[in-house]
Amino acid sequence: MKKRTHLLTHTLIPLALAGVLLPITLLLPWLRVVGEEGFVFARTGINLLLFDRGILRMLPLAIGAGVALVLSLTLARPTRMAVRLLVVAFAASLMSGIYLLLSAKPTADASGLLPAPMMVRDLQFGFWLFLVIALAGLALALMTLRQPTTYIILTAMAAIWLLPIFWLLITSFRAESGAYTTYIIPKGWTADNYVRLWTETEQFNFPRWYLNTLVVAIITCILTTTLVLMVSYAFSRLRFPSRRLFMNLGLIVAMFPGFMSMIAVYHILKAVGLAKSLVSLILVYTGGGVLGYTIAKGFFDTIPRSLDEAATIDGATRNTIFWKIILPSSKPIVVYSAITSFIAPWVDFVFVSVIMKDDYANYTVALGLYRMLEREHIYAYFTRFCAGAVMVALPITLLFIKIQKFYVEGVTGGAVKG
Amino acid sequence: MVQQTITRTGAPKRGFFRELAHIYRHGDGATKLSFLLMGVGCIRRGQILKGLMYLACQVLFIWYIIEFAWQYLSKLNTLGTTGMQRVWSEERQLFVRTPGDNSLLILLFSVMSLLLLAAFIGLWRASLRSCYKAQVLSQQGKKLPTFAEDLRTLGNERFHMTLLTMPSLMVIAFTVLPTVFMVLLAFTNFDANHQPPGNMFTWVGLENFRNLFGAKPMMGNTFAKVLGWTFIWAVIATFSNYILGMLVAIFINNRGIKLKGMWRTIFVITIAVPQFVSLMLMSQILHEQGPLNSLLMQLGFVEQPVKFLTDITSARITVLVVNLWVGIPYTMLITSGILMNIPKDLYESASIDGASPMRMFFSITLPYMLFVTTPYLITAFVGNINNFNVIFLLTRGGPLVTEYYQAGKTDLLVTWLYRLTVDRQDYSLASTIGIFVFLISAGLSLIVFNLSGSSRREEEFQ
Repeated sequence: MKKRTHLLTHTLIPLALAGVLLPITLLLPWLRVVGEEGFVFARTGINLLLFDRGILRMLPLAIGAGVALVLSLTLARPTRMAVRLLVVAFAASLMSGIYLLLSAKPTADASGLLPAPMMVRDLQFGFWLFLVIALAGLALALMTLRQPTTYIILTAMAAIWLLPIFWLLITSFRAESGAYTTYIIPKGWTADNYVRLWTETEQFNFPRWYLNTLVVAIITCILTTTLVLMVSYAFSRLRFPSRRLFMNLGLIVAMFPGFMSMIAVYHILKAVGLAKSLVSLILVYTGGGVLGYTIAKGFFDTIPRSLDEAATIDGATRNTIFWKIILPSSKPIVVYSAITSFIAPWVDFVFVSVIMKDDYANYTVALGLYRMLEREHIYAYFTRFCAGAVMVALPITLLFIKIQKFYVEGVTGGAVKG
Repeated sequence: MVQQTITRTGAPKRGFFRELAHIYRHGDGATKLSFLLMGVGCIRRGQILKGLMYLACQVLFIWYIIEFAWQYLSKLNTLGTTGMQRVWSEERQLFVRTPGDNSLLILLFSVMSLLLLAAFIGLWRASLRSCYKAQVLSQQGKKLPTFAEDLRTLGNERFHMTLLTMPSLMVIAFTVLPTVFMVLLAFTNFDANHQPPGNMFTWVGLENFRNLFGAKPMMGNTFAKVLGWTFIWAVIATFSNYILGMLVAIFINNRGIKLKGMWRTIFVITIAVPQFVSLMLMSQILHEQGPLNSLLMQLGFVEQPVKFLTDITSARITVLVVNLWVGIPYTMLITSGILMNIPKDLYESASIDGASPMRMFFSITLPYMLFVTTPYLITAFVGNINNFNVIFLLTRGGPLVTEYYQAGKTDLLVTWLYRLTVDRQDYSLASTIGIFVFLISAGLSLIVFNLSGSSRREEEFQ
């Protein structure tokens, strides 16, 4: 309690300063106007706020006065209630400042007050000072209340991270065609993009690609998971000559950039007559996925050895131990392996493009969507690309959220628990 | 128990030649004959099926070499001498194309045959071993394991063979073979002017390496500049993501923060959306006519669209910033678990001593995190050196400049490598670059491996 009162008095002086400065900035120059005769004069905030007589424009003024009012209360008796009021006042000031910033151009241009289209750089230091003081005041007031200012930062960040995805989502329902629009929110809404994506198949056969990817993903998933479990069990539990050699070879080979060997893989597949087929994709993804056995091996390493030993004494072979002891206790890692290997074919577009070349019928969704954004298609297909991206991203996002815990353990090599 | 007696044959297990020499010295006639005809020793002792299988393998391999592999292996030293030719055909009265040597297939099948040869030598040794075991056992008057018994060991003593055969074959076919092939390409002149089947390529020794190191100034210059940018990119991208991601994790893990799960899920969603989707989306948003530019213009922030991805400096800044957008949630997810493991009493005593949050971050959190996550940090660094997606999907390596050899100002070594192979068919140069990327990655990973010591701890876990 003592600490709180201390903080209250500690931040009161800067708070008071902010509260007094806020209304004063309204008298400082806010907007630079270049007249027809070429002379420059500054407009004060009050002038600017009144220039289209809108009621909202009056807000900063009212808030500024309000802040001063609340401030006098605070100075008289520093209570939590008074500081809370201050938070509200500063927050409202900040909001109206931001609103002014974003709406200045349309309003100024519409008012006909300025000879040339307004730019944000025409706003003068009075305005910027207003914004900075409102922000600082809000932060100070929140600190005084010992409220985590983190919420504000987190909200802002969440917005930055979610807005692009949100834009993808709303664009997939946009009725207007074309790639780029000069506005964010679509003028008309439709589910047509989804319908056409699934039904118009002459040029871009999305249903076919989706089915291709699904088939490849399911088979890859089964094969990779089986092979990964086999390899991990062998390396984790069995001791045999040249075990280290094999593990090190796997490590070294995995370090060569994959793009380097793509061309060779293509020729190998061509030599055995599998190029441009879905089977080749399954083989390539499985071959690549097997090298990712280390996470499963790390998991097996943590299963106590004494279990195996007890079973061996009871006469179990290693084959039985694998099926009866190891496999039942490794459900999480089976799920992890299955989901990661299932996701791989959905997100790869490089290997597919090298293997399939121009064989459109055997594309997977990732490559197909990539093609939609090429210069000659983007205008007609952009909204459908968004719809397709949603169709791909949705299931994968759900699956990923399910495995995120293992994902962390895998990446950090099990260093993280909890 | 059978297995126990079988393994004690007296032959030294270590050393390929020592073991063979021992078997040769102590082997009887049938075992000695097995050196030439695989499995004869086994047949002689009554393990007929097993012996016949060895013999069949030998016959098959010799047939493979004569019928298929020799035509390629014999040309491995030159990679082909006669190119495709047009020969006048009397009967058809026109020029007929005769296919010449295909350097690519010669190299590819030679590598494959050499790998098969290595496998065959392994099989040969295994057959000799098993013949010698059979000999020792019968000399000791013990019962030989039947074929069924041998098969049964695949489920127990030799279970690793059962488990590893298929995966090894997959990895050899789709990773080892292509990698060896591409490494060898670095010593050839396989480029757009030497494209099989029309033209041949051949061995050029270290010429590609010399070119990269200045024999061809433009190539050498490009290599140095791209390598430089790759390192700058990797350092900035890794550390900015690390510090900022950790800050976000700290924000979310703050004791006062409610709805921790919700905040975390918001960021996890952006990782979960496939990278190619979110990055293509970003490249559209940042396009010159994209929504961000039109918004900025409408609000009066700029008069001309900002060239986020087409101007050299801003493209470099943009890829780094977008990489933050991609990477921060990722680091947040990784570090939040470790953050929770930091002993709470460290913070409590620090706050009693009156340390500010800033001070606590730099004196407690950061050192602790750096200590625990150094391996992750280096792995992330290697990942960023090979960060194909971010660069390729945003700028495709551009803006391209004429002073570079087939590269752009945001190109990393891997994206340059990709362009050289897929767009330019300049395979030999690409392979040379690939070897350098490998050396960098392998060197750094070696450090991680030693630091983490997970190899040493492996046995302790169990």
